[in-house]
Amino acid sequence: MISWGVGGNRSREFEEVALVHLDALYRSALRLTHNRAEAEDLVQEACLRAFKNFHRFNPGTNCRAWLFTIMRNAFLNRLRRAGRELLGKDSSAAESALERVTASAPARDNPEEEFFQTVLHGDVDRALRSLPLVFREAVILADLEGLNYKEVAQVLDCPIGTVMSRLARGRHLLRQALGQFARERGYSRESG
Amino acid sequence: MNCQEFQAYLHSYVDGELGVDETLGAATHIADCSGCRNLAERERQFRQLLRRQPRESAPAEFRAGILSRVRRSARMAVLRPWLIVPLAAAAVLAVVSVLPYARQSAPLVGELVDKHIAYAQIERPAEFTSSDRFEVEEWFRQRAELRVTVPDYSPSGIRLVGARIDVANERKAAYVLYEKGRTLLSVFMVPASGRDADLGGTRVSYRGHDYLTREWKGYRTVAWSDGRAVFGLVSMLDYEALLQCADRLRAERANQARL
Repeated sequence: MISWGVGGNRSREFEEVALVHLDALYRSALRLTHNRAEAEDLVQEACLRAFKNFHRFNPGTNCRAWLFTIMRNAFLNRLRRAGRELLGKDSSAAESALERVTASAPARDNPEEEFFQTVLHGDVDRALRSLPLVFREAVILADLEGLNYKEVAQVLDCPIGTVMSRLARGRHLLRQALGQFARERGYSRESG
Repeated sequence: MNCQEFQAYLHSYVDGELGVDETLGAATHIADCSGCRNLAERERQFRQLLRRQPRESAPAEFRAGILSRVRRSARMAVLRPWLIVPLAAAAVLAVVSVLPYARQSAPLVGELVDKHIAYAQIERPAEFTSSDRFEVEEWFRQRAELRVTVPDYSPSGIRLVGARIDVANERKAAYVLYEKGRTLLSVFMVPASGRDADLGGTRVSYRGHDYLTREWKGYRTVAWSDGRAVFGLVSMLDYEALLQCADRLRAERANQARL
């Protein structure tokens, strides 16, 4: 009368549909938290939460974006609890500060090809770490994990136009930071 | 497309996010403009640099830990305190509406009580969790094409937990779960078959309507049929509370039928 096998089927389905994205979640958690123990904690929380709400996941829709959304919410809750780097404040302040920077510095005539060759292992992560969270998360999702604009918008819960401007600014900052590392090593004469 | 327009599209172009017309316009532009071509090339190289970053995997031990937590939580879903502890301590009111119920040989309420006990033991007895009755009604409509009245018992301190689709004798039945404190209330709605279900129990009259009450395995049940469906409420709540809930469900259903 009652199907006792339901629990087992559900976890098997979850493993097949959701846990195939565990590596992507783990990598991104590392880049969000900069801390292995915290990242593992976060991914675990996100996975268990996702499993608990798996009945809400609409099969056929994008599971990866759904998981990233859950993980991001868990992450923001943690930040809120810890009173750290609040996204709301962070985003508007950082976005408006960068408005000026990026407006006055179009990506023109930067000797980027030179420093692209000199980027060392770990540079990108180091540069990412210097980005305000609001840009860092957009770049991680789009450029490191390959989500498209629509998926990023879903995860960040914002319009596609906002995704585009955050990506443009995030990439600009990232380039600046990488150019800086290259200059420190004496590879590049100047940067934009 | 001129240089200024192209540069506005630069990121979307390199990200492959432009529509067909814009992509063609951009491609035509950079075929003739080496400055913009270089810009696009640089952007592309930058993307590649980012994509080339080492793709670290979750450590095997960590992955195994997650797997076992998920599996354990799935097993817990089958053996959850809800009713194990509650047999003594928790009162659960389940309103189950069984839709089509064909075979009447076994008393329906016995089956409903068994379901109530079984669901109370799983971690998430509700397949769809929501405390919003309209959401739950919509879920039944979309999920099983069932028109189900989900009564509001919140004035009595009975909170809507969620719902699930049940199968009684291979037919769909609606199951709505409520709780009052730690006491569950199951409401089952089963579509009526040709003849009246053999509900069994003691006939009582409450506010002008007849109900059948029965105690089974320590749970109280109130059942009735309105000709279209058979309703069964199962809980450890007292009969007075159950009859109130039954009356309310009847009234809301009659109300909806008028709409």
